[in-house]
Amino acid sequence: MKVWLGLAAMLLLAMVVAACAGNQWATPADLLRAVDGDQALRSRLLLDWRLPRVVAAAFVGALLGLGGTIYQGVFRTPLAEPYLLGSAGGAALGATVALLVPLAMPQSWLLPLLAFAGAWGATMLVIGISRVAGAVDAAGLLLAGVAVAAILGALRSFLMLALSDETVSLQVVLSWVLGGVQTPTWRGVALLVLITLACLALAHTLARRLDVLGLGETMAVAFGLDVPRFVMLAVLAGSVIVAAAVAFGGLVAFVGLASPHVARWLVGPLHRPLLPASALVGAIVVVLADAIARSALPPAEIPLGLVTAVAGGPFFILLLARRLRAS
Amino acid sequence: MLLWTARILRAHQARWKRAVHLSMTLIALAGTSSAQPITVQDAFDRSVSLPAPPQRIIPIFASNVEIVASLGLADRIVGIESYTRYPPEVLDRPLVGGRLGFSVDAVVGLQPDLVVVTPSRQAANQLIDPMERIGVPIMVLLQRSVPEILDNIRLMGRVAGVPERGEAVAARFQGRLDEVKRKVEGQSAPSAIMITGRLGNGLMLVAREGTYTGDAMILAGARFALQGTRTLAQVSPEAILNADPDVLLWAGSDRDLKQLIAQPGWADMRAVKSRRAHAVSRVELLIPGPRTIDGIEHLAAIFHP
Repeated sequence: MKVWLGLAAMLLLAMVVAACAGNQWATPADLLRAVDGDQALRSRLLLDWRLPRVVAAAFVGALLGLGGTIYQGVFRTPLAEPYLLGSAGGAALGATVALLVPLAMPQSWLLPLLAFAGAWGATMLVIGISRVAGAVDAAGLLLAGVAVAAILGALRSFLMLALSDETVSLQVVLSWVLGGVQTPTWRGVALLVLITLACLALAHTLARRLDVLGLGETMAVAFGLDVPRFVMLAVLAGSVIVAAAVAFGGLVAFVGLASPHVARWLVGPLHRPLLPASALVGAIVVVLADAIARSALPPAEIPLGLVTAVAGGPFFILLLARRLRAS
Repeated sequence: MLLWTARILRAHQARWKRAVHLSMTLIALAGTSSAQPITVQDAFDRSVSLPAPPQRIIPIFASNVEIVASLGLADRIVGIESYTRYPPEVLDRPLVGGRLGFSVDAVVGLQPDLVVVTPSRQAANQLIDPMERIGVPIMVLLQRSVPEILDNIRLMGRVAGVPERGEAVAARFQGRLDEVKRKVEGQSAPSAIMITGRLGNGLMLVAREGTYTGDAMILAGARFALQGTRTLAQVSPEAILNADPDVLLWAGSDRDLKQLIAQPGWADMRAVKSRRAHAVSRVELLIPGPRTIDGIEHLAAIFHP
């Protein structure tokens, strides 16, 4: 219980700090005034731009934490991460099309839609390939994922070179690929909250069977688990969760890999507590990283994915080293 | 839907409040009654409405800064981005962005009543949506041709509440362009290539059809030696050697031009042999502002000496 309260308090604190952080720092009193309906330009900035982004960052982080935990559970390797099965390449391709091809739809809808479609479509392609090849196991999926990622990456690079010109620059695509939470409207935030809760519930239904699978395939079969069927089901669920994260947050490196490990150190390996804990850790990390991204190099903004990798990497290595020495 | 409507209503209310406030200040300050609301159509076909002539303008990119300054409104500029180098009197203004992108925070912190952007780098992507949501008027300018640059000057004049100044400045530039046209008309157009940059992999960026830089070359009385460079701006040095233009232009310094034509094979190019390889000014030909007219005059002197 203490762990949960601690995590929740940390998330809340992180969100308040992040809402105050920026090119120009605000005080919590400024925030209250903005929420209260103050019409000054600065209050409108806080209410309509900074707050929705902080909330969105938290939920994107939660989705990545969930996705990472499921993938690590299914593939039974601590190296699995949410973008393993081609979803990063697919999402980037979809986003590139949305950003560079003029289509008859507002970009604020098109971008998350095509990113989602790309991420999910790529994972479906990977699963399809490994089915056709008759290798629906972890190794088959991983290899198909690597191949599909290479193809999609090349397609994206070509589109970027061919379609960018003076008006749509490469930087727009590049900075999307490097990660960054799109600031949704409050309606978008509500949608994201609903999606995240649904994903949490979905993940919860997989928890027990992930534990059983963790005992090894032979044991899992002995426990009556239809392993190939469950692997497929869990991968499908994971891919939807990751695609949702990508649609709202772009590609955020490292969070999906690290959060499950940190959560495991806090609540142990059983998936029922692990999944929500990992979501909380992911949320805290992305909220803080996004605050750094917005305020570290004013007036510019650093792509979020770079911050999570550069700031999160050493932190993770430190935790890992302490852990290994202790054991 | 309801929420959305409410938000729009609220935004409008705020806008009107500000309009009233601003117009009262204006009347009090200057005794003028010119605080008419202004509405223009920008390059993205967005309707940009201002309650009164803007007094705090943030033009993003050198070209937009130069256009505002050409209308004599440099003192209304309150913020710039870090690659703005001209005119000198605005260089002390706070920065709102640079190579790494643009900050919504920094822009709003300067309390602008007009932001002008060009969809280059990430400016349009990062700023249009938030400014619309927060309620700061933001205008988008495109510059695909030289006439469009003149249109931008007129549009900026209208939106800034000095339409007659915009017309006058644009007409003056049009007069100089007409002068160039009279000079080059009827003469045979030399084939030309303008190299605007070199990439790490050895490829070259060239001025293309459908851009204001390419347009400037045509207006100055040249024709493209390389055809069909619409999609990809980068071409191999081989293609440039093959095209063998009458005139070779390098947008940059004389030293870099010497280095460029010292490459194997380049000395045999017609343009190099006949001493028609020239370095031209980047700021005149790669910033779509008033100085582009100077650039066209200089180009015309090179093409038709």
